[in-house]
Amino acid sequence: MPTPYETAATRVRPVAGAGADPALPPRRPPLVRARAAGWTPGVCDAVARHLGVSRRLVQVAFVVLAFSGGAGVAAYLFLWAMTAEDEVAPQTAGSLRWSERRRSALVLLGGGLIVVVGLVLLVPGLGVTVRGSVILPVFVIAVGAVVAWSTLDEAQRSRWLTGGAGGRAWVRVTLGAGLALVGILVLITRGRSVSVVWDAMLAALSVLVGALILAAPWAVRLWSDFRREQVAAVRATERADIAAHLHDSVLQTLALIQRQSADPQAVTRLARAQERELRTWLYAGPQGSQASLAAAVTEVAHEVEDLHGVPVDLVVTGDRPFEQHGAALSRAMREALLNAVRHGAAPVTAYVEIGPAGVEAFVRDRGAGFDLDAVPGDRLGVRQSILGRLERHGGSARVRRREDGTEVELRLPPIEGDPV
Amino acid sequence: MSTASTPAGPPVPIRVVLVDDHRMFRTGVRAELTEAMSAGAPVCEFVGEAPDVDAAVAVIRREAPDVVLLDVHLPGGSGHGGADVIKGCAGVETADGKPVRFLALSVSDAAEDVIAVIRAGARGYVTKTITARDLVTAIRRVADGDAVFSPRLAGFVLDAFGAAAGEIAEVDEELDRLSAREREVMRLIARGYQYKEVAKELFISVKTVETHVSSVLRKLQLSSRHELTAWAMGRRLV
Repeated sequence: MPTPYETAATRVRPVAGAGADPALPPRRPPLVRARAAGWTPGVCDAVARHLGVSRRLVQVAFVVLAFSGGAGVAAYLFLWAMTAEDEVAPQTAGSLRWSERRRSALVLLGGGLIVVVGLVLLVPGLGVTVRGSVILPVFVIAVGAVVAWSTLDEAQRSRWLTGGAGGRAWVRVTLGAGLALVGILVLITRGRSVSVVWDAMLAALSVLVGALILAAPWAVRLWSDFRREQVAAVRATERADIAAHLHDSVLQTLALIQRQSADPQAVTRLARAQERELRTWLYAGPQGSQASLAAAVTEVAHEVEDLHGVPVDLVVTGDRPFEQHGAALSRAMREALLNAVRHGAAPVTAYVEIGPAGVEAFVRDRGAGFDLDAVPGDRLGVRQSILGRLERHGGSARVRRREDGTEVELRLPPIEGDPV
Repeated sequence: MSTASTPAGPPVPIRVVLVDDHRMFRTGVRAELTEAMSAGAPVCEFVGEAPDVDAAVAVIRREAPDVVLLDVHLPGGSGHGGADVIKGCAGVETADGKPVRFLALSVSDAAEDVIAVIRAGARGYVTKTITARDLVTAIRRVADGDAVFSPRLAGFVLDAFGAAAGEIAEVDEELDRLSAREREVMRLIARGYQYKEVAKELFISVKTVETHVSSVLRKLQLSSRHELTAWAMGRRLV
C-alpha cells in the first residue's frame, strides 16, 4: 500500500547499515534460569543462552559428563543450586559490579565444594565406590573452565573471541586452561606408567571414531537445527534494522508536514498514514499477511482513508483465513466505506466481528443518510457491489437509515465445515 | 451530540489534574477543553498538571482532584507509568469524600497498555485522538463514577473475554465472561455508538447502559481470565 512519502525506497535500500553498531559487543545474557522453563529446572537452557550455543549441545555435554565419573550430574546439581532464577530484567543483571561478581564467584566455589564433599561421602554409602581420584580431577577441570570463562569480562571476552586479546586476559585464560589440563592428565594417568596410558588413549580414540560414525546422521540433524536457530537470529536483527528505518520514515513525514503546514488536509493525511504505519509495526509486527480476513479488512479501511483523507475508526475482533467469501465481504465493505466517506460525515466507524457464527461488519457514518429506494436503478454502487455481492456469497446486507447517519450491515455465514 | 443529553453538570466544576510527559500535549488538551467549554458553563477546571509519576502523585495528593487525566506511559516511579500513579494515590479522596478517579489517555492501542491501567484502577480508557467534546463527556462520566469505553477498548474486551467467539456467561456475576446484555452493549460501543444511541437501540435507559459498562469494567479489573492475566503477569501487575 503506497504511502504519501516514499517508504518503499527506504525499505528497499540495501542493508548497508546492518552492522551499524560494530562498536557494541553483543551482550552475553547472564547465567540465570528462566522461571518457566517447563518441568526441568532450566539449567541447560540457561547455560545455552549464556554461552550462545544450542541447548541440545549443552544437554549432550551434560549427559556425556554424567557418564564420566558422574561429573555431569554433579555439575548439573551444582548449577541448579547456584544459579539464580530470572527475577530481574536480564539487562540489569549483566551490569553487576566487580565486587559483587567476585563475591558470587566465591559463593559459587564454596557451594561447589560442599556439593562435591557431600557426593563423596554419600556415594560409598549407596554401595558404589567412587574414588576421590576421579571426582577431584573432574572438579579441578570444572573450576579451571569456570575461572577462565567467568573472569573475562564482557568486552574482553568478545575481543578474545575475535582474535585480539589483552595481556591480562591471556594470563587468566592460560591459568584456567592449565588447571583444566592438569586435571585431565591426573585423571588419565592416575599413577600408571606412560605406555599404559598410551594404549588406553589409543583404545579410547578408536571407540571415539566408532561412536562418531554411528552418531553422524544425528549430528547432521543437530547441525541443521543449529542453522535454523541462526537464521531466526538473523531475522531478529533484520527486524531491528527495519525499526531503525521506521524512525527515518517518521522523521521524513514530519519534514513533509512542516513543508505542507498550510494545507490542513494534507497534514492530517500524512500524520494519519504515518501513525498507522507505526502502529502496524509496533503492535501487529510484520506478520500482517494478507492470508487473514482481519488483515484484509484493515487494509481496505486504510486504503479508503488514504484515498479521501477521512479517518476511519476500525475495530476488528476475531479472525479467520482469507478465502473468496471473505474477499467478497472486504470488497463490499470497501464500497460501503467509500460511500460513507463520500456522502456521510466524520466520524466514520467500522466494526468487524469474526466469530464461529459467521462474520458481521458494520460501517457507520454521521451524514444526512440516504434512502436506498430513492437511489436511481442505474446507480450500481450499493445494489450491486454491496447487496448483490454478498448475496452471491451466501451472505446478506442491510442499509439502515438512522437519525444521524447511515449504517451498512454486512453478514457472512461461517466457512463451510467450520463448527458453529 | 452526547454532551447535550447528559444531565446538567454539577454546579461546581469538576477539578481535573492532567498528567502527561509531553508539555505540548498538556497545553493542547488544556486549550482544546477550554475552547470546547467556552460556550456553556465551565464543566471542568484544571487544578494542576505533572510530567512524571512522582510529580503526579504529589500533585494529586495535594489537590485531591475529582478526575485525573492520565497518560499510560510516564517516566519515573517503578517503571509502570500510569499504573504507578494510580497505585501511589490509592485511598486519596476528594473534599466531598469521593475517591479520585482516573481516566487513561493514551496514543497506544496495545492490549497490555489498556489492561495495565484498567487493572490498576482507571475508570476508563480513551485514545488521544478523541475530540474535545467527547473528552468533556468522558470526564463528566468518570467524575460521576461511570466507566468510559472507547470503541477500540470495547472490541478488545469482546476479544479478550471470548464474547466475539460466542462465550457468554450464564450468570451475571461470573467474572470471566460477559453476560449476553453486556456483550450487546460492548458490540454497539465497538460499532461507534454513543451511550445514548446504545440505550435507544436496546430499549433501555442510558443509566442502564452505564451500569452495564461499569460491570464490564469491574470484570476487566477482577477477572482471572487467561488472556487478561497473561498480559497483566507480563507486566507484574498481579
